[in-house]
Amino acid sequence: MSPIDTARSAVETARRLGADEVKATVRAGSEVELERRSGKLERVHEASTLGLSVALLVDGRFSTHSTSDLRADAIEPFLRRAVDGTRYLEQDTDRAMAAREQMGSLDVEGLDAADEAAFDDRDANVREQGVARLEEAVLAGAGDDLVSATAFLWDMRSRAAVAFSNGFEGRSARTHFGFGGMVTLKEPSGKLPEAYSFINAAHLGDLPSMGSVAEDLWTRAGEVRNTSACPSLVCPMLLDARVAPRILGALLAPLSGASLHHGRSCMHDKLGEKLGSDAFTVLDDPTIPRGLGSKPFDGDGFEARVRPIFTEGVLNTWYVNLYHSRKLGVQPTTGRAGNVVIQPGDRSWREIAEGHDKCIRVTSFLGGNSNPASGDFSFGIRGQLYERGEWVQNLSEMNVTGNLLDLITRFVEPADDVWKFSSYRVPTLVFDGVQFSGT
Amino acid sequence: MSDPISVHGAPRGRYFEQFGITREVLDDILGAALSGGATDCDLYFEHSVVTSVSLSDGAVNKASTHVDLGVGVRARFGDQVGYAYTEDLSTGSMRSAARTAAAIAAAGGARGTVDLALLDLPSYYPVRKRWEAVGMDVRVPMVRGWEEKAFAQDARIKKVQTHLVDAEKVVLIVRPDGRLAEDYQPMCRAMVVCSAEGADGRLESNSYNLAARAGLEFFDDQERQERMVRKAVERTTFLLDAGKPPAGEMPVVLAAGASGILLHEAIGHGLEADFNRKGISIYASRMNEKVAPDFVTVVDDGTVEGSRGAINVDDEGNLAERTVLIEDGVLRGYMHDEISAAHYKVDPTGSGRRESFRHHPLPRMRATYMEPGPHAPDDIIKDTKRGIYCTSFSNGAVQIGAGDFTFYMKTGWLIEDGKLTRPIKDVNIIGNGPAALEQVDRVGNDLVLDEGGWTCGKDGQGVPVSQGQPTVRVASLTVGGEG
Repeated sequence: MSPIDTARSAVETARRLGADEVKATVRAGSEVELERRSGKLERVHEASTLGLSVALLVDGRFSTHSTSDLRADAIEPFLRRAVDGTRYLEQDTDRAMAAREQMGSLDVEGLDAADEAAFDDRDANVREQGVARLEEAVLAGAGDDLVSATAFLWDMRSRAAVAFSNGFEGRSARTHFGFGGMVTLKEPSGKLPEAYSFINAAHLGDLPSMGSVAEDLWTRAGEVRNTSACPSLVCPMLLDARVAPRILGALLAPLSGASLHHGRSCMHDKLGEKLGSDAFTVLDDPTIPRGLGSKPFDGDGFEARVRPIFTEGVLNTWYVNLYHSRKLGVQPTTGRAGNVVIQPGDRSWREIAEGHDKCIRVTSFLGGNSNPASGDFSFGIRGQLYERGEWVQNLSEMNVTGNLLDLITRFVEPADDVWKFSSYRVPTLVFDGVQFSGT
Repeated sequence: MSDPISVHGAPRGRYFEQFGITREVLDDILGAALSGGATDCDLYFEHSVVTSVSLSDGAVNKASTHVDLGVGVRARFGDQVGYAYTEDLSTGSMRSAARTAAAIAAAGGARGTVDLALLDLPSYYPVRKRWEAVGMDVRVPMVRGWEEKAFAQDARIKKVQTHLVDAEKVVLIVRPDGRLAEDYQPMCRAMVVCSAEGADGRLESNSYNLAARAGLEFFDDQERQERMVRKAVERTTFLLDAGKPPAGEMPVVLAAGASGILLHEAIGHGLEADFNRKGISIYASRMNEKVAPDFVTVVDDGTVEGSRGAINVDDEGNLAERTVLIEDGVLRGYMHDEISAAHYKVDPTGSGRRESFRHHPLPRMRATYMEPGPHAPDDIIKDTKRGIYCTSFSNGAVQIGAGDFTFYMKTGWLIEDGKLTRPIKDVNIIGNGPAALEQVDRVGNDLVLDEGGWTCGKDGQGVPVSQGQPTVRVASLTVGGEG
């Protein structure tokens, strides 16, 4: 049975068993991952997966269920237990599925999120040769301080089919191709710092060369050698494009309908207000062809569309799905972000660094957390200290601490280096007056 | 013994026969896994049912269930691993997965039939009231009662969410040396999440949770449930008056209990033997060296009855044990799976764990704690001129090779002249593992194993763990703060 047929069948069965409204999703996937170290394959992981999930409304009561046990004689008992169990819950009048006319889907082919032919063409030999070439490229850059180098390669494919009891049906398909390396180095201090570089794309042909990724890996290795903390200071932060999602993700958390509804949002009363600097403009665009966060429709069946999140510092939207929109008494938008986009600026981060007496370029985070209710955040960081654009030292054992609402007022400019191998398509972001704690 | 009579009514050791997994099928799949010439292999069958019930806005209005069924096949050729899994327990699908895993070795080979013998397992999580027999009519009043207690405790509480999650998992581990281990693994977790509003309109949110490998009887203890609610409320309202500490290096006193996160991050991961086997842990060359003061003894223990980190048997079929990692300040042991144990020519420590049949086993922590020390907890604070006292935590992280680690302090106090003077919150604390160990200068006599639901992440896999510690002072760590 095809995924959409399985989904339709689940909808019909659940309805027959007493559910009033049903959403059924079937996901099928294949994945292959290889790790190579010391001249041999260290691990090969391969699987094909299949799963069914359903959301049910039974007499105004709501529940969700999922199973990987798709034996022909197992699905109906599973759905029967699901429907019967739902009847014990209390009614929630805000639970409802969207009307059929509100629902829609972008053209899946237009999103071009799956490179099916490339996935089918790649066999075990091609992948093994690929990861061997990558290991060779990584080792070519190694010096005497190398302790360990591991090369990784992965291919993944996922397909989903969704059927709603109101007749809406949708499907999506996605592939991921990626590779990368990780090295551990030895220092006289006894520390064994690690560096890594990974790359991931929807289409095989969009990946850069293995040599360029190996080169990037060794550039990053240079940034983790002989690190130490500098004295605590307040200075500009150059937030590397690849790690900026950590801060931007924390910023989006209080915009979610759940945070707003449950009193866990520092932005609950700030829609339409100017919160960030004039330079702070952030877009959500789930329609970008081959974008890693692109999608044809969201969890409620609403067609994906572009939404400005912040425009010149003004908060334009929340992430409110249908359920939380009814709780909050507002129009629904969408439940979660697609591709978070910040347009590039005109200058490189190096040029920007030259304009500051001191600045810290943050290139990785270690732990930390944020509080969506207050906006407070505190993260461990690694990076580099620059003075007038000159490298001073590599940094570790430091924290960056502040409040998100304050931080976005301090946004100065984006650099010119958008990192497109992520659902956060943003460049290095520059913030002024950021608190770092060190020695 | 672990459930000596049956699992869910099936004869002991025969639970998976309802899915067609007979001894003959097991022998067939073992043969396929070894067909490429692998030196060893394991089959890991899993059937789990997870049920959750949630309350928000005054109504028990959401429930979910998740059923997982499948098998993972690992073929080993020395330290090389081929791994495949399938959710389809037909013989053809399992045989295909086994042959995929077997391709890691290319030597070819044949083997005879295996005589499988069921292992006798200990019983570190005896269950009196199984979750499969607990209806929604029992679960619903529980989560409602927690909400009512929370609102009654403090008028500043504006929103309450409560959750009850229970899981029952049965695993079957099959090895070509004849080992057959079947284990019933319960888990439950309860959580209260509160949002509060201060007089100045300030919003804060926090939570408290309980977790255990136990059945419904875990909640027979009313005081335990009341403590959960009380702490959720107290931890939330505490934040309304809390601020940031000063930034920089200072003494850090860690309250007994969840502060075991220090051990987990600063020491525990670095002593997982796969990292050491590869030479990429900062502790890789320090076995039998003095790494901490005499009064520091650190243990990883899979045998703490009912704890979230307890296991009767690990996911490779080795019995759980109590593993001493650091004894009187000297590094004495690593946590091993079979691959690392073979490398070091030692016995496995029962630490080979995996998230599910979709993952291969790795050396992992279970319940990690520091033994009690010689110091009185109150004196530790009195002896601190200026620093912070951390009382609750949310998460941590570590870089295995560099040794840098962090943990996030959710609530705590500023210490000035030996007194707790000002509430503080939401700061990250960072240090270096070996340096921090050397700088542990006080260990209290008040060991507490935290009762919360910690999950440890490694290589994309999460496994349930426990952690604990007495009150401990580290002479210097870097505190995220202001100024």
